[in-house]
Amino acid sequence: MSVNNMSDPRRPNKVLRYKPPPSECNPALDDPTPDYMNLLGMIFSMCGLMLKLKWCAWVAVYCSFISFANSRSSEDTKQMMSSFMLSISAVVMSYLQNPQPMTPPW
Amino acid sequence: MKGFHAFCVVLLIFGSVSEAKFDDFEDEEDIVEYDDNDFAEFEDVAEDSVTESPQRVITTEDDEDETTVELEGQDESQEGDFEDADTQEGDTESEPYDDEEFEGYEDKPDTTSSKSKDPITIVDVPAHLQNSWESYYLEILMVTGLLAYIMNYIIGKNKNSRLAQAWFNTHRELLESNFTLVGDDGTNKEATSTGKLNQENEHIYNLWCSGRVCCEGMLIQLRFLKRQDLLNVLARMMRPVSDQVQIKVTMNDEDMDTYVFAVGTRKALVRLQKEMQDLSEFCSDKPKSGAKYGLPDSLAILSEMGEVTDGMMDTKMLHFLTHYADKIESIHFSDQFSGPKIMQEEGQPLKLPDTKRTLLFTFNVPGSGNTYPKDMEALLPLMNMVIYSIDKAKKFRLNREGKQKADKNRARVEENFLKLTHVQRQEAAQSRREEKKRAEKERIMNEEDPEKQRRLEEAALRREQKKLEKKQMKMKQIKVKAM
Repeated sequence: MSVNNMSDPRRPNKVLRYKPPPSECNPALDDPTPDYMNLLGMIFSMCGLMLKLKWCAWVAVYCSFISFANSRSSEDTKQMMSSFMLSISAVVMSYLQNPQPMTPPW
Repeated sequence: MKGFHAFCVVLLIFGSVSEAKFDDFEDEEDIVEYDDNDFAEFEDVAEDSVTESPQRVITTEDDEDETTVELEGQDESQEGDFEDADTQEGDTESEPYDDEEFEGYEDKPDTTSSKSKDPITIVDVPAHLQNSWESYYLEILMVTGLLAYIMNYIIGKNKNSRLAQAWFNTHRELLESNFTLVGDDGTNKEATSTGKLNQENEHIYNLWCSGRVCCEGMLIQLRFLKRQDLLNVLARMMRPVSDQVQIKVTMNDEDMDTYVFAVGTRKALVRLQKEMQDLSEFCSDKPKSGAKYGLPDSLAILSEMGEVTDGMMDTKMLHFLTHYADKIESIHFSDQFSGPKIMQEEGQPLKLPDTKRTLLFTFNVPGSGNTYPKDMEALLPLMNMVIYSIDKAKKFRLNREGKQKADKNRARVEENFLKLTHVQRQEAAQSRREEKKRAEKERIMNEEDPEKQRRLEEAALRREQKKLEKKQMKMKQIKVKAM
């Protein structure tokens, strides 16, 4: 018994369950990228819709993709989907109102 | 009357101008066929008078230009003021136009040609009026960019997943021989090993191991690079970064003595010293070079006491550190670990943060970004070092002097903290007392029964009196003692 104890460091009676670290400050500390990108995406898509700027709408689509790629697992998918849908709708509306191709600013 | 005269004058001028325009045409013999519109020359002319004046091929090129004149059957009866100019074609057989087509068509641009110096330019139809896909090239570019981003997301996610699995497969045996519980996500009713990594993110994987002597548990976090984000991939091309493996071992209180110690790359230690609460308080000196103890120069040491360093740097540890120095980012042993410093807006926090005895290890995965699953095997010896450190931390005890120094340090830190927050704590206590009094008064006010009110008031008054008496007694006692 004692030999077993000495060679085997495992102690089944001392098992502690995993507690996810408290997340009051962690999400903000870790990486603000998905939140920023979400906000940017919404701003750009509103700009694109209101001001009828096609490039704004495209940038919004990119922002929502980047936000999705960087998202944490704790974030709900509803927000992701809503920002995604908003940016897609901005692009579609811009083209419905004005089917001309986008002109480069240069 | 005068207006009418003016109007007549204007009309006359207008008429003469227009007449002048057609002056040239009048000279021609074919004026009969000529119509008053610009497209007369394209109209089908009924009579083909071959004997008539020579056909001229009209262009709008300038008279002064050096052009070859193509005239067929030129007559001397040609008008002198009529200028000839030629088009591009020089050979007769390729001339597509009928001879009679240009009969009678004067060089109307005679007046205009003097001012227009450019040839006819065919202007492109604006892009938005075209109906071709090419004009949408920017849109196609955007969609291609999006597709590239999606492809990169899928590829990056898969690569990270493969790397994590490779790491786990390499280390599984060692972990299972040391810990009862390998892999737990905290959701199961009973504590059974899931035997899997927890995927927190597309680039962060966790593993919780528990059930061993000396330690409460070990949390391993595989922090890979964000291979799933194209922007990050592009940014990394400028600045290579490594994947990291972070291991945090929580020790039992009785299994670790009181000391704070860190070793690692100089840059990492400087950063940790600034960020971490315990390192900044207990290890005030700058990181010392590890060369004194036989470590390579790239590693530096931060320690609370010299004795701790001597105790920690035994031969086996030195062996580990020297051999794997390139993969070690930082190693941090502390009994006062409470995480990074918390920046609070309203000044100092009111009480010291909770501390836990912890061993922290941060390792860099070799490859500096371009890692392959087989690189994970290189990290196995480092896990051996972790296990060895756990056992060593249990065995290592400070001697009496060291313990005294350590206790003094901790008392000093606590005192400093209390001093700093003294004012705030007083204010907090004061406000709490006032809160209580106000609540009491409100209760008295709210009592409907006047009898009860009176009684409560009396009770409150008595309590106040008692407190005052107690204080006076204390002051008296202090005075007596002082005497």
